[in-house]
Amino acid sequence: MQVYLPIAEMSVDALLLLGIGFGVGWLSGLFGVGGGFLLTPLLILIGIPSPVAVGSGANQTLGASVSGLIAQWRRGNVDVRMGTVLIIGGFFGSLAGVQLFAWLRRAGQVDLAVAIFYVVVLGGVGALMVRESVAAILRRKRSRPARLHEHLWMHGLPFKMRFRKSRLYISVIPPLGIGFAIGVLSAIMGVGGGFMLVPAMIYLLGMPTAVVIGTSLFQVVFVTANVTFLQAIQVGSVDIVLTLLLLAGGVSGAQFGAAMGTKLRGEEMRALLGALVLAVALSLLWDLLRVPEALFVIGPVP
Amino acid sequence: MKWLWLALLLVLAPAAVAQEAAVAPPSLAAELSVNRVEVTTAFSGSEILVFGATERLIGPEGDEVVVLVTGPETSMIVRQKVSVMGFWINGASARFNRVPSYWALASTRPVPAMLDRVERSELRLGLDQLPLVQLGAQGPTFRLALADLQQDAGLWVDRDRPIQVSGGRLFHARLPLPATVAHGIYQVQVMLVRDRRVVARQELRLDVVRTGTAAWIADIAREQPVLYGIACIILAAMAGWIGSVVFRRN
Repeated sequence: MQVYLPIAEMSVDALLLLGIGFGVGWLSGLFGVGGGFLLTPLLILIGIPSPVAVGSGANQTLGASVSGLIAQWRRGNVDVRMGTVLIIGGFFGSLAGVQLFAWLRRAGQVDLAVAIFYVVVLGGVGALMVRESVAAILRRKRSRPARLHEHLWMHGLPFKMRFRKSRLYISVIPPLGIGFAIGVLSAIMGVGGGFMLVPAMIYLLGMPTAVVIGTSLFQVVFVTANVTFLQAIQVGSVDIVLTLLLLAGGVSGAQFGAAMGTKLRGEEMRALLGALVLAVALSLLWDLLRVPEALFVIGPVP
Repeated sequence: MKWLWLALLLVLAPAAVAQEAAVAPPSLAAELSVNRVEVTTAFSGSEILVFGATERLIGPEGDEVVVLVTGPETSMIVRQKVSVMGFWINGASARFNRVPSYWALASTRPVPAMLDRVERSELRLGLDQLPLVQLGAQGPTFRLALADLQQDAGLWVDRDRPIQVSGGRLFHARLPLPATVAHGIYQVQVMLVRDRRVVARQELRLDVVRTGTAAWIADIAREQPVLYGIACIILAAMAGWIGSVVFRRN
């Protein structure tokens, strides 16, 4: 069944979009991430213009994260104070990211920039996750007790603040910086940034794992809302029909994924997620390196 | 309107014959099957059907018909992909103004065989005859690339798409409209060629309009972006919340 997307100005098979939504939702339920990093490249692959894929991807991630956030909120797993600090950083980050995106679009390099961001960020994160989780699996066999959290130099910077739920007393500069970086990436890649935020919270901030997922969802919901809003008014590239079709498939898929996720162990899951992230990065890298089918591309005047 | 004209013709034609007036019957009469194509959320492409009749028999010795459809003009950028340190990136670009967003040509015989070059370029019958304004990078490759890509997208149609003739004098042409057509006013020109010259011409108008939900959404997104952005946030959040309620596992 073909459906006409009013902002993308093209018609796409609705079942294909529902299927993509379901598949990405299933994976995001399984791994507890928004799934934007898979969704945006898939949308570009089926011919959705990059700006629309990014704008609608952020919008879809917002919807997909809301249900997760509600569930985590009920269990009291959200550190609102830490989340707020991350959001303040994320707000300015997404503001800067959308400006950068609009500038890249005028320069005609948006496709390249999105692809390079994906390759570098996903490649880096994927490799780190695989390495870390494989090390954790190996360490488990030796069963060495781990410390509560490492104290890094950056925790001692000025403007210290107490985060009771995270059991932390650290400077607000690292969470602000992390929030800012995720905001920039969110605007350019159309992702929520959960797949980066979760490791950053664990390894850089030293937050307890229990509150990490809920707090990252809290930040992702607000940052993707901000990106959606800015993309809608500055680039005009959020396609609500596309978003809702993807969400329809996504929310059902997420429940199946979450049910399956409870059967996997943490380290194995992180290793699998890392491998998946790495695979997406490599396929996008291959797209940049291989000789393109058409040596010319046409587009509307931005 | 169409029927009114037909009725008028029926009434007036015998009267004209009776008066033996010098009013010659039209050498060409053409019409569109629809004057309005609606782009809705279920739109997946359509077709323009042009039909009509000629005075004399259609053939190389008699009358020949050319149909040219042009869509609203737009500006486009053609970018060349270049390899920089092994990466394929967008390199030089040329901007084209006055690009027809849709262009389709159909004829009873290939146009170069029935019209001279001068006449072809005056009437712009041929992709090489389009008066495109090229800015930025120069060179014919960009223009050729534009023509190739537009043809691949089905937006420019210049293949051997013959006009079907039945009964010697009735003709009809079907031109495909892909799902990606721009909305606006489309001009349909039907030309009658006799002895290597265009002797009669009829211009028809086709409106491609976005209607229904698709048009409504696109209008709001363009005219009220703030409202639209807020609506997108609320709708996505609602969809996520409803989904979590409906699919909750107890």
